[in-house]
Amino acid sequence: MGMTGYVDFGYVTFIALGAYGMSLGITYFYQVEGLGIWIVFIGFLLALLLASLSALLEAFIALRLRGAYFAIACIGINEGLRHFIEGAKLWGGSEGLIFSGSLIQAVGRETANQLTTFWADLAVFIIAALAAFLNIHYMRSKIGYALTAVKEDEDAAKVMGVNTTKYKTIAFLTSGLLGASVGAVAWGLKLGYVFPGDVFVIHYTVECIVVVLLGGAGTLLGPVVGGLIYGLSKYWLAIIWPGFQLLIFAPIIIIIIVLFPEGVVGMLKNRVRGTALERYLL
Amino acid sequence: MKSRSCMAVAGFVVTLAFLFPMYAFGAKDKVVIGHPACLSGKYAKAGEQAVGGIKACIDWVNNVHGGVTVDGKKVPLDYKYYDCESKKEGVTSFIERLITVNKVNVVFSAYSSGLTLAGAPVAERYGMVYMDHGGASDRIFQQGFKYIVQTIGPGSKYHEGTLDMIHHIDPKVKKVALAYEDSEFARMTMGGAEKHAKALGFEVVFKRTYPKGVTDLTPLLSDLKTKKPDIVIGGGHYEDGQLFTRQMSDLGIQVKALSLVASVTLPSYYEALGGRLAEGVMGPSHWEYGVTYSAAGAKKEGLDWIGPSQDEFVALFKKAVGKDMIPEYHAAEAGAQVLAYVKAVEMADSIGQDKVRAALGKLKFMSFYGGWDVDDTGMQIGHSMIDMQWQEDGKRVIVWPPEAATGKPIYPKPAF
Repeated sequence: MGMTGYVDFGYVTFIALGAYGMSLGITYFYQVEGLGIWIVFIGFLLALLLASLSALLEAFIALRLRGAYFAIACIGINEGLRHFIEGAKLWGGSEGLIFSGSLIQAVGRETANQLTTFWADLAVFIIAALAAFLNIHYMRSKIGYALTAVKEDEDAAKVMGVNTTKYKTIAFLTSGLLGASVGAVAWGLKLGYVFPGDVFVIHYTVECIVVVLLGGAGTLLGPVVGGLIYGLSKYWLAIIWPGFQLLIFAPIIIIIIVLFPEGVVGMLKNRVRGTALERYLL
Repeated sequence: MKSRSCMAVAGFVVTLAFLFPMYAFGAKDKVVIGHPACLSGKYAKAGEQAVGGIKACIDWVNNVHGGVTVDGKKVPLDYKYYDCESKKEGVTSFIERLITVNKVNVVFSAYSSGLTLAGAPVAERYGMVYMDHGGASDRIFQQGFKYIVQTIGPGSKYHEGTLDMIHHIDPKVKKVALAYEDSEFARMTMGGAEKHAKALGFEVVFKRTYPKGVTDLTPLLSDLKTKKPDIVIGGGHYEDGQLFTRQMSDLGIQVKALSLVASVTLPSYYEALGGRLAEGVMGPSHWEYGVTYSAAGAKKEGLDWIGPSQDEFVALFKKAVGKDMIPEYHAAEAGAQVLAYVKAVEMADSIGQDKVRAALGKLKFMSFYGGWDVDDTGMQIGHSMIDMQWQEDGKRVIVWPPEAATGKPIYPKPAF
């Protein structure tokens, strides 16, 4: 979203497929003797595979569209996939998959407890670090320049010989794989169940967009800062005023976005432009 | 310099001396219930009811029962809750906070099978008793969780009472049709209904699902009509329950009994159907205002009684929520869970997690909510669902089970 300027309203599809990949790995391989903890890795690979296929399919359909049409197509893919799973009774259909018991059987109660709590949380931090690394790598390579060109003026980039579909597909695939990784660990592994009605929810996409806008789109630190502001404010408001946090939280978000339309990091970047600090605000 | 160090050490020791008794004995000064409540989001209505029900029963425990007896000493019950916004992230993070920061003695689940499942691994990790008053899925109890205990009845038993009642009144009736929403909840309830119907000797002549958000059930109901069922069981949510009844009437499908899950028990169902179409329609519920569970009834069944009477509970609930509102079953089951926990702590004479969990496994009692007993997996088996029927002039009559009934069922159901 930040580099290309394309807003993917179907991002939660990748998270959902990641959760399904992990669920399928554990549900269908837990009885295979000798696999033990490897079923988690199988689940993770399945998550990446499902997300890759979905990203390529979505890229084929959606990346030939722009603006509102692109956004609507992404929502359509998300809703369509959810209804397909429910209607075709795929992967448990509307009943979903519950596999906490399978994980306990495969790796033992103690290891399962550790995996679903400590390791699942740690994995999210590792994925975040990986996302940051990839972001820096892309920003400093040919891919980053191509994506920035797409964001500034896609037609001009095309005329200049940039294969826009190729670079947009790379961006789509990268974000899809990262989303699926988060879905696999933070939903699949951590919760031990997946219901289509709970996981294909556009609300998660909207939250991602709010986080990026709060922090600053097109920056490395933006989503981190936005995520911290969003997550911590909501958490502490819920502790201090349970039940009223959203009432207080909504105006705070509006004020921040009105004051800093380029996001907190975007605003700071503008302030330090031309100074020695500029190079640290990625 | 030396004297400054000595003062620092002395200050540290004094601080510790003040803090130590709070830490060491704090747990025994009160027993704390932790709860990631759904005060906002899609389960906000059920969440408000649950918080009201819990507060009402804590009020009763502290002010009528005199507190919880642990080690021969009465200690008050306290309640710590956060708003999880009906989201899994809120459930997992707040359960962790309740256990590690607030040092609660038991965690009550949020609401729904999904959110209950989301919190279970966290409670398991900390070896914390996790009481489920909102997750009805049977599959929660097939996962091998050690510390989970259910108060709400399992989904598979929703229509058992309905079928038992019809079998009791009219043993000759055999043909049952099942038509229900394609959702996790409805599939589970209807799976249980089908199994129980077959066990009672009924013949399932029709079984089909319809998608969520359906706007026309005519094709499905037309097919159902050709099977000429005596009993129709179905539903899924409020909207499709209304549509189901209205279109059955439009197609002239007359049956001896119609029971729909989720929608029928709501007053708005009767109002939306203009009264007449709703008459004779039944719906299962965990609890309804008007049930006749009592201390005398408990004695008759050889069970202990604990807690307020129904009317006392309603008064305490109104005080807790600060509104003139009649509690629904979400409030009753959450309140009954408080009573179950208190009984278990007193039975174990301890707040130790393993001892309380073991006591909950052995516990059998009755309260205003009905019976309470769990099996080895922690699944509720002692609480019977009740069946409510709309009767003439909009009267909501509890028709089953006999120990909770407020009137006789109208059978066969009047024609539409």
